[in-house]
Amino acid sequence: MFQTYRRMMTVTGSYRPQLQTALLLSVIASIIQGIIFALFFPLFSALLTQPIDAQRVWILLGGFGVLVVIEGLLRWRELDFSWLTSSKVAHETRLKLAEQLRRIPLQDLSRRRSGDLNVVMSGNVSELVMWIGSLATLVIQTIVVPLITFLITLWIDWRLAVALLVAFPIAVPTYRYMRSLVKAMLRDVAAADAETASRVVEYAQGLPVLRATQQIGVRSQRLQTTLERQRQIQVKGQRLGVLPSITMATLVEVGVVALMGLGTLFILQGSLSIPMLFALLVIAMRFTEPLTQLIHLASVFDLMEIGLERIEALMSIPALPVQPPATQLTRFDITFDQVSFRYADQTEWALQDVSFHLPARSLTALVGPSGGGKTTITRLISRFADIQTGAIRIGGVDIRQVDPAALMRSLSVVFQDVYLFDDTILNNIRMAKPDATDADIEAAARAANCHEFITRLPDGYETRIGDIGGALSGGERQRISIARAMLKNAPIVLLDEPTSALDTESEVAVQEAINRLVVDKTVIVIAHRLSTVVGSDLILVLADGQVIEQGSHPELLAQQGRYASMWTVQQQSQGWRIAS
Amino acid sequence: MTQPTFTQPLTGARSILAPVKGRIGGAIALASFSAITGIGSLLAVPPIAAELLSESPEPAVIWRWLVIAVVMVAIAFSTRSLAFTVSHLAAFKLEVILRTALTEHLAQVPLGYVITTGSGAIKKLVQDDVKSLHAFVADSTPLIGQAYTTPVLSLVIMILADWRLGLITLAVLPIGMIFIQLALRDYGEQRKAYDQANEQINGVIIEFVQGMQVVRTFDDGSSSFARFQRSLDSFTQTLREWNAKTQLSGRLGTLLFEPLPTLLVVSAAGAWLMMQGSLSFPRLLVFLLIAPRLCGAFKPIFTLAHFINQSNAGALRIGAVLAEPVLPQPQHPQQPKTAEITLQTVTFTYGDGRPALQDISLHMPAGSVTALVGPSGAGKTTLARLIPRFWDVDGGAIEIGGVDVRQMTSATLMSWVSFVFQDTFLLYDTIGNNIKLGRPNATDAEVEAAARAAQAHDFILALPNGYDTIAGERGTRLSGGQRQRITIARAILQDNPIVVLDEATAFADPENEALIQDAIASLTQGKTLIVVAHRLSTIMHADQMAVLDQGKLVELGKHDQLLQSNGVYTRLWSRHQQAQNWELSVRSRSVLAARTNSI
Repeated sequence: MFQTYRRMMTVTGSYRPQLQTALLLSVIASIIQGIIFALFFPLFSALLTQPIDAQRVWILLGGFGVLVVIEGLLRWRELDFSWLTSSKVAHETRLKLAEQLRRIPLQDLSRRRSGDLNVVMSGNVSELVMWIGSLATLVIQTIVVPLITFLITLWIDWRLAVALLVAFPIAVPTYRYMRSLVKAMLRDVAAADAETASRVVEYAQGLPVLRATQQIGVRSQRLQTTLERQRQIQVKGQRLGVLPSITMATLVEVGVVALMGLGTLFILQGSLSIPMLFALLVIAMRFTEPLTQLIHLASVFDLMEIGLERIEALMSIPALPVQPPATQLTRFDITFDQVSFRYADQTEWALQDVSFHLPARSLTALVGPSGGGKTTITRLISRFADIQTGAIRIGGVDIRQVDPAALMRSLSVVFQDVYLFDDTILNNIRMAKPDATDADIEAAARAANCHEFITRLPDGYETRIGDIGGALSGGERQRISIARAMLKNAPIVLLDEPTSALDTESEVAVQEAINRLVVDKTVIVIAHRLSTVVGSDLILVLADGQVIEQGSHPELLAQQGRYASMWTVQQQSQGWRIAS
Repeated sequence: MTQPTFTQPLTGARSILAPVKGRIGGAIALASFSAITGIGSLLAVPPIAAELLSESPEPAVIWRWLVIAVVMVAIAFSTRSLAFTVSHLAAFKLEVILRTALTEHLAQVPLGYVITTGSGAIKKLVQDDVKSLHAFVADSTPLIGQAYTTPVLSLVIMILADWRLGLITLAVLPIGMIFIQLALRDYGEQRKAYDQANEQINGVIIEFVQGMQVVRTFDDGSSSFARFQRSLDSFTQTLREWNAKTQLSGRLGTLLFEPLPTLLVVSAAGAWLMMQGSLSFPRLLVFLLIAPRLCGAFKPIFTLAHFINQSNAGALRIGAVLAEPVLPQPQHPQQPKTAEITLQTVTFTYGDGRPALQDISLHMPAGSVTALVGPSGAGKTTLARLIPRFWDVDGGAIEIGGVDVRQMTSATLMSWVSFVFQDTFLLYDTIGNNIKLGRPNATDAEVEAAARAAQAHDFILALPNGYDTIAGERGTRLSGGQRQRITIARAILQDNPIVVLDEATAFADPENEALIQDAIASLTQGKTLIVVAHRLSTIMHADQMAVLDQGKLVELGKHDQLLQSNGVYTRLWSRHQQAQNWELSVRSRSVLAARTNSI
């Protein structure tokens, strides 16, 4: 409870005072509500005296009315939070989360699936805001109103107060037990759901094969078994959940009936007056209502709790630290000095004791089997994550001493998969240098071989990427991303198999664009075709996270090692051939 | 390739709920009964009050009413929980029925529909959309029963108890209703604006999250952040405008549906009537106990409205997919006799009306190799996918062994044609079972033979549990090349006479590439092979090359013949040679300058 309160306060951020005000107003309004209910005691007494004490009745009803108005006003103010502040809280929270996404290490970013992050940023935030105000005040109402009425009852007749409480020692643990059951059930159901989801994905992907063997629909054993198991878990959860919730709801109502019986007994004995009993009965009905409502909202409460947890988890990822003294980069040679690195959730080293020096304006190729550590090296240069031992230096400066934004400014990366924003082509290129003129952008586009196809588009540079979507080929998208890099003109260029996903025709155009991009830069390239990189100043052969060979193409061929055999295989196959 | 679209007639949510209609009705009836007995239990109170207030209270009478109250409470709760149990079990049952129906239907629609929809969207449909019905079927139906029964019954009782006080109480209700109505005024319009803003912000969030990794290396995310901020501002603005318009009536509505105002009105009017001597205390009690329930009955409906809307949207999407026309099956299915393929003036148009293939005629003798080549967007992949009938042609015909593919059952066609695509698909199951998927009754020896032929046997044996290793389980990460070889082993085991191969554009590394080359060679031995080629050197030795350009067959022949004709193929080949010979350099500026204007 207190943890939830703390989390709620953290999430509300600078609107914390408003939430606290709303909560305080809710407490006061609930106390007043308790007092109003207590008015039924004197009211019933006055109504049941013979003759009716009219003056007393009107005074009491007047007080009743005044208190209802005050309570209404307080609730009105309390609703400010839901109606006015909550949208601001959502706004602020989303901004904070977005800021955080820009700060956290890329490793943490890539470990979280984008679907998961979308849920946190869009789903959870709106869920929270929808409920944070109303749920919190409901909880307060549920606790405070019964508490006040209990205290007043205690003052009138302690025996009935005890009777009112009888249900609670049983109700509270039952409620807790129920919550834990529901949580366990939700976990099981979530697991079953995930299983069904992956079976469905398999099914959709495998349909061509499955159709041939008629393992479809009801005849798909794997799918049917999973669906049936999912249903059983749901039914089991339902059975488990029913008993405590019946107990809970019944306990409350049974408490009311017990109150009635006990009260009657006391009246017949002469130790309780009739108006007191019926006033208490009317109050007891109000006493139980918020409780039952709370039971219904338990799942919403869990939802909010989960949302809070996820937001907190994201916010708590520390940004990569910049060690003093923060230094600017002036030279752009790259040194790996006994670098070892392990990914966050892995036990094996991705790189082990890797050392090399790449002079400024040199071309270096990373080759070797997949999983050997090629991509890891390019990622570490852009400080994807911090290494465990050793040092990576650019121009002699440890990259951990460089402001991350400054580091990024000195790098251009061309990936295999290109990301373009749903914005104009102009803005997609300009992104690399916000103050670039249209002429600068056109020059970059020309150099990247994309000016021509852009001008052929209906709106030229003003064409929105989303409007043409699939109409751009992979090669054209890649060339736009190269134009971006061209505009940025960073001294270091990292190329991660930039042409491997392209067909022959676009490949040539992209190759030419890259040729222009890399002139006079410090370049590291991961290439699948060895002939591309025979002219490299340095070739690093990586396998199992270690540099097993390094040197120029002729040197490595002379060594007769791994590189030489890779070269031979590739010369022979030049891609596989169909024999006829 | 571009995705064909289909028209999607909508069937309503009603037909989707049909299989559990009876149970839903039962749940509503039980919940109504529970509401009746719940109110009934309260009606035991006034007689007790009357008895206690009488000159000589009779304890036996009081106890009898108390027992009646207890029984009523017991019935109310058991029927209520029964209602929820019935509705939940119905919802669970409906989930299985709908998931089975959807997967069954997906197996009958054209495969092209499945492929273009994508496994992610299908997962969302079969898992999430079906689940969204739960809120309606399981949670709402009992509450609906309650929401209608409680107010009606309460009103009847109150009018019977005292019509004057009944009418006064009733007056509170329409006032509250008016405010709720006011709050909902312009609801549709505002809702649309909100939905639009919401959709926009969700799009931007997805972009921001997905693009972050990439753009961080360009501008540390600041320009995408600015975009995000702009959308967020306009979203918040829309939300605020909506709130500003509705908050007055919304707040009033909320306050009036609380029990306090009703209690005040009832107490004041009741006290006045009692002073007039025309209302007895027990009757006043009836009102004080029942009137607040009247307001309470509507509350859950407001809370649930959001989930019900979601259920509705899910039901519509499910209905749309179920209404997707199935691939027509022949009345008199035929079996092909040979593995030769003939395309007769095949024309195919995408859903949006763009022609994809025009007037293509092509003969592929049994056991021959045909390569489909051409620039991107020429229609190579589309043509290859028409052979296993991913879609039906719009004009002309595709025949296998003289039989139109539309005259074969899906099962027959699938047992004649295997295809290996770039995206490999493995079940979360043992590697052995993954291979066996192509022929479920194959022996272990046959599986092993297929794996050997696909160059997969050695690496499989090196895995912790050999053929019994679960593919994709932690610690057994398979490389792209290894996954590819397992799917090739599957196709080898299937041993279908026709193989359609969409060549992967990139294999992980040279060593793997050589192994895959051998695997494909064993798969295609003696088969009629259609290969979509992206790298021309692979298919230089094909029996014939069909060169496609903008959906038309422009050249046909062997490599050497086509080179001599100096057409599209010659251009492609020289580009290919150029790409193969790319040599990266950070210094060769003079060479570059010469090439600049060549494209």
